Order: sequence, then C-alpha cells, then structure tokens
Amino acid sequence: MNRKKFLSSILASSAAIPAFAAKNIFEQDELSKPILVPRYLISGDIIGITCPAGFITDKEIQPAVQQMQNWGFSIKIGETVNKKDFTFGGTDDERAKDFQQMLDDDSVKAIMCARGGYGSVRIIDKLNFTKFAKHPKWIIGFSDITVIHSHLNKNFNIASVHSKMCNSFPDDWSKAEQTQIDSIFSIKQALIGEKMKYEAMPNASNKAGTAEGQLIGGNLKTIESLAGSKSDIRTAGKILFVEDTGEYLYSIDRMFWNLKRTDKLSHLKGLIIGSFKAKPDDPGEEFGKTLYDIVLEKIKEYDYPVCFDFPVGHQKNNFALKCGVKHKLNVQAESCTLIETR
Amino acid sequence: MIRIPPYLQPEDAIGIVCPAGYMPLEKAQTAIDILKGWGYKIKIGRTLGSNSANYFSGTDEERLNDFQQMLDDDEVKAVFCARGGYGIGRIIEQIDFKKFKQNPKWVAGFSDVTVLHSHIYSNYKIATLHAPMASAFDDGGYKNEFVQSLKNVLEGKKIKYACAVSELNRKGEAIGELVGGNLSLLAHLIGTSSDLKIKGKILFLEDVGEYLYNIDRMFYQLKRGGKLDKLAGLIIGGFTEMKDTERPFGKTAYEIIHDLVKEYDYPVCFGFPVSHGKENCALKVGAAYKLKVGKNKIILEE
Repeated sequence: MNRKKFLSSILASSAAIPAFAAKNIFEQDELSKPILVPRYLISGDIIGITCPAGFITDKEIQPAVQQMQNWGFSIKIGETVNKKDFTFGGTDDERAKDFQQMLDDDSVKAIMCARGGYGSVRIIDKLNFTKFAKHPKWIIGFSDITVIHSHLNKNFNIASVHSKMCNSFPDDWSKAEQTQIDSIFSIKQALIGEKMKYEAMPNASNKAGTAEGQLIGGNLKTIESLAGSKSDIRTAGKILFVEDTGEYLYSIDRMFWNLKRTDKLSHLKGLIIGSFKAKPDDPGEEFGKTLYDIVLEKIKEYDYPVCFDFPVGHQKNNFALKCGVKHKLNVQAESCTLIETR
Repeated sequence: MIRIPPYLQPEDAIGIVCPAGYMPLEKAQTAIDILKGWGYKIKIGRTLGSNSANYFSGTDEERLNDFQQMLDDDEVKAVFCARGGYGIGRIIEQIDFKKFKQNPKWVAGFSDVTVLHSHIYSNYKIATLHAPMASAFDDGGYKNEFVQSLKNVLEGKKIKYACAVSELNRKGEAIGELVGGNLSLLAHLIGTSSDLKIKGKILFLEDVGEYLYNIDRMFYQLKRGGKLDKLAGLIIGGFTEMKDTERPFGKTAYEIIHDLVKEYDYPVCFGFPVSHGKENCALKVGAAYKLKVGKNKIILEE
C-alpha cells in the first residue's frame, strides 16, 4: 500500500460559518437543490456521541472523548453507549431514540457515531429529520454510517462528515502512526470549517483530468444495499468516492457492476477509489483481475478523472471528507489532489 | 401473461454451458450421462471444460458467445447451466434475447443463474427453470426426488411439492406467479434492468454462506425497496452455512426473516426444499402456483 500524504489544510477565513452561507446549485443534480452546510463548530460546542449501529463500551470511547475535549469541545454521551443488544448498541428502538434525541437537542452541534458495524439501516426510517432539516448539524462517521450520509444527501441535501469514529482514537498516542494521528486531527479541521485539501500518491492506473462537483460516497457494499430504497445514493454530477474491506474480488466486481447497471457511473464528474483490502481468492478460484482492472473496465467509456489508493477507507489513513460539499479533483501523472472549493 | 416454453420430447437436445464459473468436463459427466439416459441429446458448449486458467469458464466474450449460440440454436430446446459461481451479471446486458423471445426455450440453473431468471421474467415474461445443476447428479444424487423433479418438469408433468411445517410459518393460501432465487443476487439486481418484479407474486428465496447481519441487511433492502409488502406469499428455502460475526447477531436467518415480515398477512413458510444443499427441487419461475401453508403441511402446486 502506498503511503499517502495529507497536506495541512488551509485555514478558512472564519471558523464559524452560518448555515445557508454555502448555498450552491450544482449542475446535473436532478433536484437542483442547494446543499445545506451545517454551522461549523466553535470552541465550547457540544458533540454528541451515539451508537446507531454496533455496540461499544464507555471505556472504549474515552480516548475520543478526551481528545475532542482537548480540541475545545464539550461531549454529551448518548444512552446507547454501553448498551448492548447482541451485536447492536441497544435495540432498534433504543438506538433510534438516542439518535433522535441528539438530532433534536439544540445544544448538540455535531453527532459522532461511536462506531460502525451494522445497524443504521434498521433505524433510519424511524428517525424524524424535521427539526434537523431546519437546523442542520454535522453527522460524523463512515462504513455502516454511509446509510446516513446517503440518506441525508438524497433527501435533505445536508452535508455530513465521512471520517473515523470513536473506536479509531488510540489509547496511547505515542504508539500511533502519524497518518492515523493526521486522520483523526482532520476530523477537527473539517468540523471547525477549515478548507480541506488532500493528496494521494500518483498511480499508474489513474485517469488524468480535473473535475469539480459535490463529493459523495462511502462504503461500497453499503451503497449497493441502499439501491432501490429512499436512501439510494444519487451520484449524477458528483465526485464519487468508494471504499470497502474484507470482500472477495468477485464480490467487489459484482458491486461495481451494480453501480454501473443502476446508472451510477455514467454521469459522474470524477471517481475516487479508496482502500479495498480484498479478501484473498480461495484456492482454485483465482479471480484473475486486480481492483484496478475491475474499476477501469466499468468506466472505460467515460472520460472523467479517476484516482486510486486515495486515503479513505478501513485503514489508518482515512481522512475526514465532507459529503455534499463541493470539491475539485485534479488527477495528473505526477500528482493527485482533492481540494474543497466552496 | 407468462409464456411457458415447450416441454421436452424424447431426442430433444439440451445445451450445457458455463456462463459463470469454470467447470471441468469430467465434473459434469454424470449429469450428461443421466440426461442422455432420460432420452435427450446433449450439446456441450465450449465453456464447459474450457481451457480457462482463472475463476471464469472463459472470457466475458467467450461465455457470452457460447450462451448466445445455445439460445439461438433451433435444435437446442433447453439451456442448462452446469454450475453457478459468479459471472452472469457481467454479460447479461449483452445477451440478445430477440430470437429467444420468439421461440422460448428452457433456461435452467440456480444461484448465479438467478440473474437470468430475474432478467428473463421481468423483461420477457418467459418462464425459466430454477433447478439443480450438474453436481447434484453426482454420487447417486440423480436418483433423489429433487433431481427427479427436474426430469418431471422437463417432461411437462405437474408437480405437487410438500414439506414439513415450521413453527415460524404463517398459515394461509396464496395463488400467484412464482418468482425468486438467490437472495444476494436478487438484492444485487435491485435498481438494474434485471430487477425482479415481485408485486403480487409468490416469492421464494434461498442463500448460502452469508453473514447473518448481511441477510438482515438484504431483507431491509427488499423491505425498504417496497418488495415485501405486496407479496401473495413467501417461501423461504435453505439458508445454509450461515456465518456470524465475533459478536453474535443473536438470531437465526429464519428468525431474522420472520421478524421482518411479521407485519404483513400473506402466508410464509420456512424450510422449503430449495437451497444450495441437496434439497433443491425444480421450480418454474414465472409459472402460476398455489401455496398452501397449513397446520400440518405445506403444499406448493401448479
């Protein structure tokens, strides 16, 4: 795996940008509705922690709590932390109720999902976004939380943060790799409104070009499982990023066919491929194609830029990305950058 | 109105192909011999026992051409897929069904072949055959009632299937076209041009080797896509070799499904003999059936 470098972000002119300030109408978005960017956080703001999917203990979230307090935020720990219903952080009703409280609590300015796992899809239709849609706040997470990113983007045009969660904050920072530390600190940068900038290592399989559009994406398997539902991802006119882990290559191939056959690849502005730690083929069942082959054959008829090995995914370098916010992707032979444009 | 391809006559030809995974010819030999013994001629496609070195039985083009040739060959009255695996989704949009539409013939198989069942049913309203494939004939398997049901269906005999009851069943009667197949594939096809139309139908489902949470997620996908609320009936086959995460999911596959359809009132039966295991009877996808889920037994008949 290539080592990616995270460029320090450019400080925004103001840390606190009021909601509706970043209105923009993106071409080719069927709804043509402006994206709503929640207010960026300022010192003293409260971040709520909740478990819409998997179970986590109070102890396991402590490194995240302490670090976010060090960043100047206050923390509100939801009732689902430490709750356990088999694999879930509480029953569906408990998880929905906790998430709902965080959505509706005016004092909570951002909601960090404690971890992924599985379960967001079981509660998404139980959530009432009426108040949230009027007063958007940041929702933070990835993997299973892709359900929420896609749902918010499609139904409410509200930006959200795709990033590491509580379970990725190290117990011992002195033993953490720099890239993991940078990834975690990028959450703060995103939340306080810094204009984000990312760099991926050049890759011979990349397709050069530049693109500008709303960034959207997440976990590929989760995206596939939303097809046909009201949380189904809308990709036209956007820069799509996808990542996954532990899937067989044939399954990754099948998922990219799903994207293609559901017409999610034809009207992209650009494509960003994060990490895909594929499960090794079973003996005698060698798939015979690499991830690069799998992706490139699906998009050969399109001419938008493609960047591989972008630092997003189930790995240490997994930088915070603002879903729904406009970015510029520039893929060249010698460099690959993604810059927030707003 | 669904069209049922002509049933087979003695001396009719069955074409055998591998549209997905690789299979050496000798592994299909028992099936070939038995099918000949049933009175049919066999045409072996180039993708069965090919010289492919990887997962697939050939390149996309080779698999497409072989399948297309069998589909368009007037002499071939049924196209059997020797095995599943993965690969039909890669070629489905390139298959030309023009001639097939005018002269329907049986397309048989299961698992990855669900792509063909769903695509053909939803786009052309032609019945296909969800049935055991080559390996089911091995080790005397051809004598069992499941492979024998394939023989009977091919001959045009009407079959009445019965199976034991499960305490999770919901009693009732339903009449409708029977559609379905492998859950993972049907979920994967949602939103594509091969998406299965299931409103008002009797849906049957089976799967193998999936994580329990993923079974749950796929059922949520069906449910949220409006695919579970307007069924005539639901038939749950084998959900075999299920895997679990380190933290147990806490429900069996049948319990997951039971919980997700409990708000509806159509009949539901669990443990029907359609699966990746030995218990896998031949079902005509698209044909009208009557499902009776009773206190003591379950009956599915045309």
